[in-house]
Amino acid sequence: MTSLFINTLGPLGWTLLTLVPPAIIALYFLKLRRQPLEVPSTFLWSRTIEDLHVNSLWQKMRQSLLLLLQLLFVLLLILAVLRPGMEGEQKLVGDRFVFLIDNSASMGSKDAEGDQSRLDEAKARVLEMIDQMDSGDVGMVVTFSDRANVVQQFTDNQRVLASKVRSIEATERTTDILEALRVASGLANPGQSSFEEGDIQVAEAKPATAYILSDGRFQTITDFSFGNLQPVYIPLGTEASSNVGILAFSTQRNPDKDDQLQVFCRIARFGSEPSEVTANLYFNNELLDVARIALDPDDGTGGAQFDLGSLDVGQLRLEIEHDDVFPADNIAYAAINPPERAQVLIVSEGNDYLRFALATGEIRRIADVKIVSPEYLNGEDYPKEAASGRFDLIVYDNCVPKVMPEANTVFFGGKPPIDEWVFQEEQVLPQVIDVAQSHPVMNFVNLGNVSIYKANPIEAPPGATVLIESDQGALMTIAPRKSFEDAVLGFSFLVTEEDKTFFNTEWTKRLSFPVFIKNLVEYLGGVRSGQGEMSIRPGENYTFRSSGFASEVHIRPPSGRVRTIVPTADNLFSFGETDQLGTYEVREGSSDEVSRYFSVNIFDAEESEIQPKLEIETQWETIQGQETWLPMRQEYWKWLVVLALIVLLIEWYIYNRRVYI
Amino acid sequence: MAKTNIVSDLLSPELLAQLERMELVSRKIFRGRMKGERRSKRKGTSVEFADFRPYVAGDDLRFIDWNMYARLDRMFLKMFLEEEDLHFYTLIDASTSMEFGSPSKLTYAKQLAAALGFVGLCRTDRVRIETLGTSLRKPGPILRGRQSVWRMLDYLNGIEAGENVPLLEGAKNFCLRNQGKGILVLVTDLMDKAGFEPALRFLSTQQMDVYVIQTLAPVELNPAEQIKGDLKLVDCEDGDIAEITVSRPLLDRYKRTLDAFVDGARTFCSKRGMAYMLANTEIPVSHLVSNYMRQRGLLR
Repeated sequence: MTSLFINTLGPLGWTLLTLVPPAIIALYFLKLRRQPLEVPSTFLWSRTIEDLHVNSLWQKMRQSLLLLLQLLFVLLLILAVLRPGMEGEQKLVGDRFVFLIDNSASMGSKDAEGDQSRLDEAKARVLEMIDQMDSGDVGMVVTFSDRANVVQQFTDNQRVLASKVRSIEATERTTDILEALRVASGLANPGQSSFEEGDIQVAEAKPATAYILSDGRFQTITDFSFGNLQPVYIPLGTEASSNVGILAFSTQRNPDKDDQLQVFCRIARFGSEPSEVTANLYFNNELLDVARIALDPDDGTGGAQFDLGSLDVGQLRLEIEHDDVFPADNIAYAAINPPERAQVLIVSEGNDYLRFALATGEIRRIADVKIVSPEYLNGEDYPKEAASGRFDLIVYDNCVPKVMPEANTVFFGGKPPIDEWVFQEEQVLPQVIDVAQSHPVMNFVNLGNVSIYKANPIEAPPGATVLIESDQGALMTIAPRKSFEDAVLGFSFLVTEEDKTFFNTEWTKRLSFPVFIKNLVEYLGGVRSGQGEMSIRPGENYTFRSSGFASEVHIRPPSGRVRTIVPTADNLFSFGETDQLGTYEVREGSSDEVSRYFSVNIFDAEESEIQPKLEIETQWETIQGQETWLPMRQEYWKWLVVLALIVLLIEWYIYNRRVYI
Repeated sequence: MAKTNIVSDLLSPELLAQLERMELVSRKIFRGRMKGERRSKRKGTSVEFADFRPYVAGDDLRFIDWNMYARLDRMFLKMFLEEEDLHFYTLIDASTSMEFGSPSKLTYAKQLAAALGFVGLCRTDRVRIETLGTSLRKPGPILRGRQSVWRMLDYLNGIEAGENVPLLEGAKNFCLRNQGKGILVLVTDLMDKAGFEPALRFLSTQQMDVYVIQTLAPVELNPAEQIKGDLKLVDCEDGDIAEITVSRPLLDRYKRTLDAFVDGARTFCSKRGMAYMLANTEIPVSHLVSNYMRQRGLLR
């Protein structure tokens, strides 16, 4: 299949071309009619050329040097037209190309030839392909990690394409090809990009070839049809690559000893080696602990727990001592954040059970609770506190504020002053039939032994989650509001009928009640995020609320300059420049103290699994990768043309200057 | 007017002034026919002292050196050199091949002949200018004295190229016409297919002081400038054809052939007591006369 020559001319072209050498020879002999020139005497000339006849063949060749050069020139042109090339059957298909280059974290694996990363290899191959593009061919470059990025729109300028490809940089992000495919197919299949019905297709469908350069570590492609887009998958990386990666790394307070920290990690092996790794735990860059972690021979995973004792605020780093081609996942970051207590306001007429439930040791550890009477809502302080977000959670027990505060709220027996919340007609003795125990608020809450006298089934705004379902309807619902959540209980704990106050339900006496209260404070008070580590994936947005209503916060990434961001509405900060792995420091306002840390880790089995997939699976088909990469055909015709031009130049020089060899 | 033109054509006034101070030198002393300005082998009556000899009875008493007699008490006769004229011949090759060059080799030869002839005329030598093709019956005029300059120039002006006579034949004819002794300056390009040797050998046997001046045009000395490409060279005299494709080695080879030819002529001449000189027509005649010829001893 590998042919040295590719014919580029038709029969007519060849006929014309083969006529050229005879024409040159004919013209040469016609021209050879030597110019007569009268000289004083041929005496010396005759003598001179006498002995030249001796070695006449060489002399004749020398005399016909111009002819030979001209013939050589034509020969070189003919060779160039034949497009000689070496070892390559790799040819570009079509005239429109989309180069989809995976620049996710796993593409940083250095298992390509010459210690190059997969991304370097991909770039090199794309550059080769760009080099092969004919004039008029257009190409487009798209990179994809967890998002797609059009590096270069369709252009026929190969230099621009090449420079854009060279400028592609590796990221530490996860992989999602779908967006990139949609971008690529948007131009090939205009129909897919027009979402509105009745959209007239103005653009003509233009078939294109999509070269996907990836290690294939992404989800099965669903909800996507290639249509006019012809995918060519070029898998990168060697199958033999083995890798060890950290999949999880978290800190937690010891449930038994409050002031002690525990660190957990989970490590997975991808490939056959090794069976055991050494993990080093650093605290603020000082070695704190070392563990040998055995990896399960079957599934290749292993874990470790470090008991750290009492530690101050700081950064934790776990490093695995394993020399593999994908080092990025051998280090994990976590941070011990300053203890952050939830600020809770309870507005209640005085409910002993609620007070008791809020007085447990667990809640005292995680939250500052302030209990006020409903009159407080009409006081001077409340509107300011509610509007400024001073509290993380406000519990309205049997009372209702005039406007919703800038905080998470819980309503016991009351309805938020929002139209979407509707209390239906009061029902007597509703039977609890389901509790959404998977929701953090209802964790470990068992209502099987609870009966309720009167309750109002709730109609909640869109997006709400029913937490307690009864035969009469939803009894407790949680629904989002801006960046907050409101939980509403459809019954109160005490009812007053005919001047007698009695318990509406015996839930308050059950063991599940303090658990429920603790869950509420922990979940809606934002305690969970404040307590342990915060880890996000590279490129993800990190959103948080400042504890002290700072007008701006300064975020110091692991390297590079400090970024300053200002909050959006309701005291919410959002930070998107999370491409670096490591621990980020957040300082509020002008404070020098680090108010919180958050870490960016890969923690993705798909990325750590660096063995390339040899095929891409879509919903309907499987795209086989090109198993062996053949170098692009090395074309020599350009050199031949250059050589021919040099020959022509020499010929011209000799003809004009009469310089003969 | 015409005469002025001739003068300015063949002899420039500056050159004339230069030439007036010169004289022709013969390495042999030849007997002339008339009393001239040349010393002769014969002792005679000039003012130039030659030798003493003892007095013999019958000698002219006028030539006895009386001072010597007073000192030595012996009679010595003072002998003076006889001064006589010199026969000076210029033989010009007027073949077609001499027409080449700018100025042409023939013009160059004429200028040379005029210059040398003028020197001779100034010294009252007997000057005769002929061409190789001069027929036996129409010899060139014999010129003597300064007043003959115009005649000489007239005659030179009348010489035209086209007398394609073999070198040997021309030399023989010349010798038949001019039996006497003297100086012979042969101006030619020596390009004779039969070779120059027989002719020169013949001349060398004559009792003449022979100078061979080979005039060559730049096209012959340095063909690279004018001869290029694929050519059919045509000999202007016999129509002989040589087909060449000019190339660097060919030019080098030509150069070697030319050098060998010139060298051969020089060696041939020097072996036979003849003086040889190569004249490139690019070098002005005045330069040749005032520098080269004085070095060679033809002029003083």
